[in-house]
Amino acid sequence: MRRGAIPLFAVLLGLLALAFTGIPSFYLVLLGTVCFWIAQATSWNLLSGYAGYFSFGQAAYVGVGAYTTAVLTGRHGVGFFWTLPIAALLCGLLALGIGAVAFRLGSLRGEIFALLTLAVPFILAAFARINRSVDGGQGTSVPPPDVPGWLGDFQQFQYLLAVAVAGLAVGVAFVIQHSRTGSALAAIHDDEDVAEVLGVPTYRYKMLAIAVGGVLGGLGGSVYALQIGFVTVESVFGLMIPLFVIVMAVLGGRGHWLGPVLGAVLIVTLQDRLTSYGLDEWNAIILGAILAVLVAVAPAGLYARLRSRPLLALAGFVVVCGVLAIANVWGEELDWIVAGLLAAAAAAVLVRRRTTTPVPTPAAAVDKTDVDLPAAPLGEIIVECRGVAKHFGGVHALDDVTLDIREGELIGLVGPNGSGKTTLVNLLSGTFRPTAGEIRVGGADITTLAPHQIAHVGMARTYQIPKPFSSMTVRDNVATAIVFGRTPVSLREARPLADRHLATVALGHLADAYPAQLNLHQRQLLEMARAIAANPKVLLLDEALAGLNPAEVDNAVRVVRRIHSTGITIVIVEHLLRVLNQLATRMVVLDRGTVLADGEPRAVLSDPEVVRAYLGRQAHV
Amino acid sequence: MSDTLLEVEELDVRYGDAQALWGVSLTVAQGETVCVVGPNGAGKSTLVNALAGVHRASGGRIRVNGQDTTALPGHRVCAHGVAVVPEGRRIFPRMTVTDNLMLGAYRKGARPSYRETITTVHEMFPRLAERATQLAGNLSGGEQQMLAIGRALMARPTLLLLDEPSLGLAPVRVDEVYDAVQRIAASGVSVVVVEQDVERALAVAARAYLLGEGRVVSSGPAAELRDSPAVRRSVLGL
Amino acid sequence: MNVVQAVLSGALIGGLYALMAIGLSVTWGVLRIINLVHFGLILISAYLTFQLATSWGVDPLLTLLVTVPAMFVAGAALQWLFDRLAVSEFNSLLVSFGLLIITIQVAANIWSADFQRMTASVNPYATASVSLGRLVFPVTTLVAFVLAGVVVLGAHLVLRRTFAGRALRAIAQDSAVAGAFGVDHRRLSLVLGGLVGATAALAGAVFALSNALTPETAYEWFGIVFAVVILGGVGEVTGTLAAGILVGVLSGVVAVVWSPATAPFVLFTAIILALLLRPRGLFAIGAVR
Repeated sequence: MRRGAIPLFAVLLGLLALAFTGIPSFYLVLLGTVCFWIAQATSWNLLSGYAGYFSFGQAAYVGVGAYTTAVLTGRHGVGFFWTLPIAALLCGLLALGIGAVAFRLGSLRGEIFALLTLAVPFILAAFARINRSVDGGQGTSVPPPDVPGWLGDFQQFQYLLAVAVAGLAVGVAFVIQHSRTGSALAAIHDDEDVAEVLGVPTYRYKMLAIAVGGVLGGLGGSVYALQIGFVTVESVFGLMIPLFVIVMAVLGGRGHWLGPVLGAVLIVTLQDRLTSYGLDEWNAIILGAILAVLVAVAPAGLYARLRSRPLLALAGFVVVCGVLAIANVWGEELDWIVAGLLAAAAAAVLVRRRTTTPVPTPAAAVDKTDVDLPAAPLGEIIVECRGVAKHFGGVHALDDVTLDIREGELIGLVGPNGSGKTTLVNLLSGTFRPTAGEIRVGGADITTLAPHQIAHVGMARTYQIPKPFSSMTVRDNVATAIVFGRTPVSLREARPLADRHLATVALGHLADAYPAQLNLHQRQLLEMARAIAANPKVLLLDEALAGLNPAEVDNAVRVVRRIHSTGITIVIVEHLLRVLNQLATRMVVLDRGTVLADGEPRAVLSDPEVVRAYLGRQAHV
Repeated sequence: MSDTLLEVEELDVRYGDAQALWGVSLTVAQGETVCVVGPNGAGKSTLVNALAGVHRASGGRIRVNGQDTTALPGHRVCAHGVAVVPEGRRIFPRMTVTDNLMLGAYRKGARPSYRETITTVHEMFPRLAERATQLAGNLSGGEQQMLAIGRALMARPTLLLLDEPSLGLAPVRVDEVYDAVQRIAASGVSVVVVEQDVERALAVAARAYLLGEGRVVSSGPAAELRDSPAVRRSVLGL
Repeated sequence: MNVVQAVLSGALIGGLYALMAIGLSVTWGVLRIINLVHFGLILISAYLTFQLATSWGVDPLLTLLVTVPAMFVAGAALQWLFDRLAVSEFNSLLVSFGLLIITIQVAANIWSADFQRMTASVNPYATASVSLGRLVFPVTTLVAFVLAGVVVLGAHLVLRRTFAGRALRAIAQDSAVAGAFGVDHRRLSLVLGGLVGATAALAGAVFALSNALTPETAYEWFGIVFAVVILGGVGEVTGTLAAGILVGVLSGVVAVVWSPATAPFVLFTAIILALLLRPRGLFAIGAVR
């Protein structure tokens, strides 16, 4: 059982039990509302928080769920409990439909996704309004179902349902966060392209997240229909729903399952207090202000802040709540509690902590004894390029490149600036598709494969400007690559394996640090560790030595040697020819998009054509 | 010296926590052509960006015609007669060739005479006149380079900065580019060419600076550096 | 005849849609900011027109003399705020959403949630119409179309023929290089923000001429306006007008041929298809392959 699971169960049971303790129904209603919003915010957070695909369409699920229940029970006399699975199914299908359209649009940016999802509730609302059999503009009333006696009266029954749905949502979020899916979504959130290249089937996971979110949202909507008793288009498809959900999740924090819960609790209780004091009008203003200010100032939300200074927050709560309670000049218990919560939140967010500047810890020097390059016989051809070309508009980055790469080689890919080296790497890893020509890896034509499939065929790469997953530790960056590598393992199993790869690049001492704290050289080493973590057959290093001082360069060279000695074929794009002289078994020189020379390093470097390409036409050789 | 157009003194430039240039000093006289060569990663583009005001310097001084431009916001530097032909051309792809040129003449000092300047540019690069209404993004690499140079000329500069103009171009195109550079230099404009193609750069410049790992490694008349084995080794990274 | 009338009326109403959409489109395309507060400015302008006309008997169209400068300032101030905050393109959507909510609530506080409408005595344009044979065109839609045409023409000319216009387009494509040639991003974006505010004032006044106002109306504009922006191509001025007309015609024809409430479907199906087939917009010119 994971750490958080037991407290979670305990809270859930406690809430359920609360229904039978005879507390005033006012509190049950309030808690029921909190639970509704917890369920909505949490289900929204699965796709939009974890994966970063902001949806403005939460109302679509609430609406479909609510109307399913309303129409089936109100107009066709179907038992309430039967409407739940039907609503869930419909919403799941709706979500999959949205995903199928939105995620296939390759050039879809986050903003367009947000707007597309905004359009969906509008359409559904219009549909409901026209269609007599659904609503016809009149609204539909929801008859109270027959409640089994042991579940208490109708009030208690509604409350229990709300808690059950919220519990389900939070439970699902909790499980997902700690599962493979959670790792995938986090990777997608940080850098979807990199995740894809590492082997994460991004489309599949996004569809899973959107579908589960839809189902949970729909269930919440069904129960909501029961609560409001009379369903109208405005009440369930309105723009207020996504607004609330977004503010709650942004306030609470989107990376963790607790975030939306915190946000929901805070916002609902605040709203309740405002309403009870007749300050309804300020409702929307406060929500809007919270959203605007938060996004600009503390985009990570409350959870992260509370986690780093829990005592401060607790102190804030105790002090404010206590003072109000003792003084007893204003309000009642609930007011004091809410005030205390606000104080805790404010303290956590506003009190500035001294930002720790990344300390550039020197990279631990790799064991200096040079690893003997095994004079291994060259293996089979594993990568074949035939007539490969890539054009960008009028610019011919690559033209007619034909190349074979054999197992065990360490190829230096060189050439003047603009000769097409990085483009070739991008083609081999699947980031771009060639304009013409064929590329085969292990006999398979990769030009039709998705990047994550190319990763599984055995191709790995690093980026010139390192792109680590910023929300994960160094170890988890590497572990994620292992989790989604050719032989799938769980995150837990992957972590010790990750440590081994970190040792290869001598980053072991930084395993628990975050990428933001690493200097450039360390981030490049992390790139390498992540790339080799999935046991690739071929590793493409794109200018892994850029911007390094001589000591760091030597270190990196030793690391590359180590990697090569484990049997991985390496293609290294580089400018420092002196380095490649020592390292490479073969040099391929590109010039203006074509292969100029290809062969043994010393021979290639003294080839007059090559020298001319670098130094210019009348170079004295 | 009153005929020094550009004076760079102990220039430091940082990118985040990495320092790219360390105490770089150089001068360019009125009407002189100077080249800066060196291997990749030596900081050549960083130098150009700092001179053009695209990137802030973190230490040192840049003086153009005696005026200190070091701390000026980017858009004010060109008023002092500095125009840049960026690395990789960086023309505006979704604007026509003519629009790209016209944007070059945006600064107050260049606007009034834009008609005259554009005629000159068309004479120098007839292909730009032919392709006047085409979208810049659809031009070939060589044509885009011409456009980038033409755009810079529209600003009627006294100092022209060229960042790796031979990048990714076929030799015959590079010939055209350098012919143009020579004609521009002949008209009295001071030129700074930053290049990887050492031979070309030295052929067109009077003086040269060799940059290595963010510092000036050596400098002198172009003829001297042409025969220097140190230059060859440095550029080849050997 | 019904269909012909529907097509032409729809085209004219499309003018209003285009008028609302053009500000948002240009801000998004040039400044990379999705400014939802634009809807708030349109709303406030509409209410101001209503208020000035009702309380002081000012001719509704003359209220523009007040609302246009006011919204120019508001627009510029908003742009200044966005610049200061330096939010990303996506976050601008969220922040402006928050600000929009506040604006709408303020409108509700001042003018209440009841429907407000200029009475016929105050608003002579509401009932006036022009007849061409058997076709009837309400004056309000003509005004909308003419204004839209003027604004689009003006924007088109400025963007294509003036130095400032080129500078704006350059900023959208490569702001750093544009700066190297003297383009002052800050100042231009403030002016643009102001001009966008001015178009909001125009749109608001026109809307108030023929519709009842309630704060929630601002939300109803979302769908249509984004449809127009996306179909027309983000940042494409003439495309926005064309898309507005298309949307107007489509809605009008569908309303007549099927039913008024079916229009949203057809519309959004069209958007989805358009996004799938031509992500740059149906009328986007200057596609660089």
